[in-house]
Parts: sequence; structure tokens; C-alpha cells
Amino acid sequence: MEEIREFEAEGTGPEAAAGEKELSKYVPEAQRKPGELGIAALGFFLGAFGYYFALDMTSGEYSSPSVFPKLASTLIMACSAVNFFKALRRKKPEASSTLIGYLLPIDVVVVLVLLVAYCFVLPRLHFIVSSYAFMVIGMVYLQRGKNIVRALLISAASLAVLVAVFRYLFLVILP
Amino acid sequence: MEQNLQYFLIPFLSWEMMLLIWVGVFAGIWVGAIPGLSVTMAASLLISFTFSWDLNSALALICGVFVGGVYGGAITAILLNIPGAPAAIATGIEGYPLAQRGEAGKAIGLCTTVSVFASFVGILVLSVAAPVIANFSLKFSPRDFFLLAVMGILLIGSIGGGDPIKGITAGAVGVLLSMVGMDPSTGELRYTFGNIYLMAGISFVTAMIGLFGVSEALIQFRNAGKKSPKQNLDRIIPNWATFLKYLPLSIRSSLLGVFIGALPGTGGDVAALLAYDQAKRTVRNPSRPFGTGAYEGIVAPETANKGAIGGAFIPMLTLGIPGDAVTAIIIGALYIHGLKPGPMLMIETPHLFWMIVSCLSIASVALMVLGLVSVKPFAKIIEIPKEIIMPVVIILSVIGTYAIQNSVVDIFYMIGFGIIGYFLRLYGYATGPMVLGLILGPMLDANYRRAMQGAENQILPFLEGFVTNPISLFLTLSIVFLVVSQTSFYRRWRGLE
Repeated sequence: MEEIREFEAEGTGPEAAAGEKELSKYVPEAQRKPGELGIAALGFFLGAFGYYFALDMTSGEYSSPSVFPKLASTLIMACSAVNFFKALRRKKPEASSTLIGYLLPIDVVVVLVLLVAYCFVLPRLHFIVSSYAFMVIGMVYLQRGKNIVRALLISAASLAVLVAVFRYLFLVILP
Repeated sequence: MEQNLQYFLIPFLSWEMMLLIWVGVFAGIWVGAIPGLSVTMAASLLISFTFSWDLNSALALICGVFVGGVYGGAITAILLNIPGAPAAIATGIEGYPLAQRGEAGKAIGLCTTVSVFASFVGILVLSVAAPVIANFSLKFSPRDFFLLAVMGILLIGSIGGGDPIKGITAGAVGVLLSMVGMDPSTGELRYTFGNIYLMAGISFVTAMIGLFGVSEALIQFRNAGKKSPKQNLDRIIPNWATFLKYLPLSIRSSLLGVFIGALPGTGGDVAALLAYDQAKRTVRNPSRPFGTGAYEGIVAPETANKGAIGGAFIPMLTLGIPGDAVTAIIIGALYIHGLKPGPMLMIETPHLFWMIVSCLSIASVALMVLGLVSVKPFAKIIEIPKEIIMPVVIILSVIGTYAIQNSVVDIFYMIGFGIIGYFLRLYGYATGPMVLGLILGPMLDANYRRAMQGAENQILPFLEGFVTNPISLFLTLSIVFLVVSQTSFYRRWRGLE
């Protein structure tokens, strides 16, 4: 019995359960997030865009190639409109929270820049050099410049294992 | 009977086959755990260097990889919220919250135990009922596959998390994206805009790696500096009482997995999602509410996708029709070795059938041992600071994506999907439904159109088929039940709310 309880939950007490119930059941937030209206509008335009280009596809029969693209596009437009109005009904976001601040905290911006740079250099410098640089810079930045030697060593070791396992054991071609 | 037993014992009496099965399971666990590296890919790689081998040895290795690989997909889903394969998407929904609570060891331990049980259920059904199930699965028409896909799409309610309308939006975007490329039935280009890279369509594995892997890494970077949860690694192996508690659910889900696996064109991914959904609907008192780390949400999908392994062999061995991509590769191996898979295979080469059954059984035992031995090292991965693990995860995602078709463009798509997934998750749009849409979109589109063409593009005969054909009627009624069971009226009546 004790063992079963262990697998049931650590914290099935009333407080934990109360907190968890809320998680399992969707409770809409009272305040909308910065840019929430924009993302719903973007969804609507994506649906409209999908429908517009589906008009170029063969249609006229119930089994035409355009049936599902039109259906999916219409559904996206309808749902996005609902999302938009639902977001509109909620309170405005706090003045202190800006769109850029919410979407792109500095750490995420740095990683995104690193990812774009990685995409750019990967075809030129190939996998080993570009991946090593990505891992070292990423780890050093995220550890706020501490443990540089550790980052250099961990990156080298990880890369060596990855190359050995994938290239030589699983015969996977690396970029 | 005696002869069948002799065939069954062949792998047990050959140390070489035994070793190959164990090596296969070990390699499969690691291949399966890495997003993008699929069992199909591993099996096709193995086929290429087992050409010159004896057929028995080649099959032993492939069976090992198959069983290990399907299991491996759950590891990264539980530890990092990055499913190693689409069949582990549902596992991650419950497994990752458990890892965040420090219960990754228990989650993987339970997953291993029920997986082994489900593998044996699949093998048992394969041994005793293969011809019956195979003949039944052939009665499925395009309309029935369309209904199965509709059933799958209804899972958005289960895996969407949060706002159902946002879940539907993400699912519809997934379906729309799955339409990109050349239409397989007419050759017409859809949404390619003259770009040759888009003609082949968007691989759902690429999208999955980006939407789960890269977006998870970006979300984690928002909380850089936050300590990773300490894992409790005492008592990771469930005892009999725990196992028996989950036994009814395991049996239900394994059988569902066997049946779905036996349907040509469907496999462990659809089976796992359907099983997760049925668990969510039918389990009255889960260990925790679903979505927050319910052990039942790990048991159901994991038993279904393991049951689907045995199921996938049913049409392959009895009719020569592959149940999924891996069995399609095995059919290729049989041809290479001069055999002709088809209805005569079991009559002309009965040893092959029993040897595969035996290899799968040994592989399941190997999975039990290797899986449980690996729980502690695997669970320790999550304790590595995310500043170190996440850059490695991104590089792993790159390797996995590139390995699909050796295309750098796929890496760009994957990173693009990762960024889109990051933004969507910030606004409460779950990424699971989008991947579900990408997986089921082509199945919906192709089977609907085939069924409609079968009805000569007439609405009435098309609709008539839903009630006149017994299989279609059963599936239609199941869909009606699925919809009704989502209503609060039904849930109150059943005491689920």
C-alpha cells in the first residue's frame, strides 16, 4: 500500500490537490498578455492567406485537392476570430509589460542570434566547428562568463561523444 | 506444435542471436531517445550492412532495435519534454511534469515495466490471433481510415492543454501545413510557391523536433539560473501492488495498440495518442489530475505503442502487408534474402514466424533489464544545469533533423518551427495539436478523397456508407461517443467532474 502511495503522488494532500486541479482545468487569465491580440490577428491572416491560395487549386468536386486546405483555412480564421474577441474582452496588459520585454528577454535574444548565426555558418564551416562554437558561446554566455574552461571542455567532450556515436556508430551523416 | 516450439527456441539456443538482440535493444534505446533518429532509420541502416548476414541474425538485430527504439522515445519526452518520436508525445504531457517534481526515476521505472508487459501482450496476440486480426484489418476501407483520423483529430481536446479553441487553431494550422507539397493522388502542387524545397512537403518529424525541442530550450532560457529539480531515485521500480493497480489500464491500452498497430498505415504514434485519450476519459481517480503528472497518462500511451509492435507484425507475417515503416523495411530484408512475404509465408516458412515471435520475446526481456539499469543515469541527465544541457539539446536536434534526409534546409525549418513554437507557447497555444495536425492531415485528406471518389463524388452515397458498413458504423458511433464524453453533462453523469 505504501509503495502504491509513492507512485500516486507526492503531495496529494488537500493543498497540493487544490493547486493541481487548477492546473488540469483551464482557467482563463484575467489579463491579456502583451501582443495576444496581434497573434490572434496573425492567425486570422494566416487562415485568409491559406484560403486565398487554395482558390488556385483544382476544385469543383467533393474530392478535389482544395477541399482540406479550404476547410483548415476556414477553421483557422474562425478560431482566430474567437481568440481575438476572447482576448479583447480581457483586461489590458499592465503598462509596465512591453511586447518586446515579454517576448524576447535578453537571454532568449542572445540564443536566437546565436541560432541564426549557427544557421549561417553551418553550411560554410560544417558541423564540428560551428557546433563547437555554438555550444561554447552559449554555455559561457548563459553562465554569465564564469567557468570558461569548463564550458570549453564540456563542449569538446559532448561534441566528441556526439560525433563518435552518430558518425561512427550509427553511421549518420553530419551536416 | 512441437515443431513450432523448436522454431521458437532457435534464438534461445544461439548465443550470436541472443547477443545481437541485446545489442539491438541497447542501441535502439539510445537511437529512440534522440529526437529525429527514428527506429525506421536505424532499421534501414542495419539492413544495409546485414545484406551479407544470415537472415536469422539480421532479424534478431532488427527486432532488438525495434523494441528498444520504441521505448527510447519516452526517455527524452519525460526528462526534457522533447519526445524522441511522435509515439512519445502523449508520454511527455504527463512525464515532464513528473520530472519537474523530481519523479523522473519513478516515471521511467513505471514506463519500463508496463512497456515490457505490453510488448508481451502484443507478442501473445501475434502468436495466437494473427490470421484473424489480419483478415479483419483488411476489411478497413478508406472511409474507415478517414474516421480513424477524425478520431485522432479529436484528441486535440486531450493534448491541447488550456484553451480548447487555441488547441483547435494550432491543430488546424498543423493540418494546413501538412497540405504543403505535391498532392500524392493528383500530383498537383499545393502551397509550394515555386519553391522546390517545399515540393516534398514539411516533414512532421522536423516540425516535431523544432516545436518541442528548440521551443523547449528557448522557454528554458527564459528561466536561466533557475535550478534543475533534484531527482528522487529511491524505489524506481514499481512493486507488484503498483503494477496490479495499473494492470487493467495496461491491458486495455496494449490491446488497443495491437489493433491499431495491425492496421496498415497506422502505428504506435496514433495508438499512443488514442490510448492517452481513452485513459483521460475513463480513469476516474488518476494519481494526479491529467496534465500535471498523472502516472496513468504514462501507462496508457507507453503500453499502446509497445502493443503496436506486435500488432505491426500481424499483417506483415500473415499477408505480406507492412503494419508500419519498420515492418516495411523487414519485408525488404526478406525479399533480399530470397523470401516472398505474403499469405504463403507462414505456410512455406513457419520457422520465420516463430523465430520473430521468439526474438521479440527475448528483446522484451532485454528491455526490462537494460531499461531499468538505465533509469538512474537517464534521470541524472535532468539534474545537469540547463545552461549546459540546453545548448547540447539544440545540437542534438540539429543532428536528428539533418539525419532525416541529409538536408541543411530541414535544419532551417526545424529552427523556424522552434521559434514559432516558442511564441505560440507564450500565448497558450500548445504545440502538440500542431504536430498532431501535421501527422493526421495527410491521412485525413487522402482517405476522405478516396472514400469520396468511391462514392462517385456524391454526398449521399458517401454519407450512407457511414451507417451501412458495420466497421464505419462502429467508428462513427465511437466518434459520437468521444464528442459526447467531452461534454460536462456526460462527465458529471459519470462522476468524472
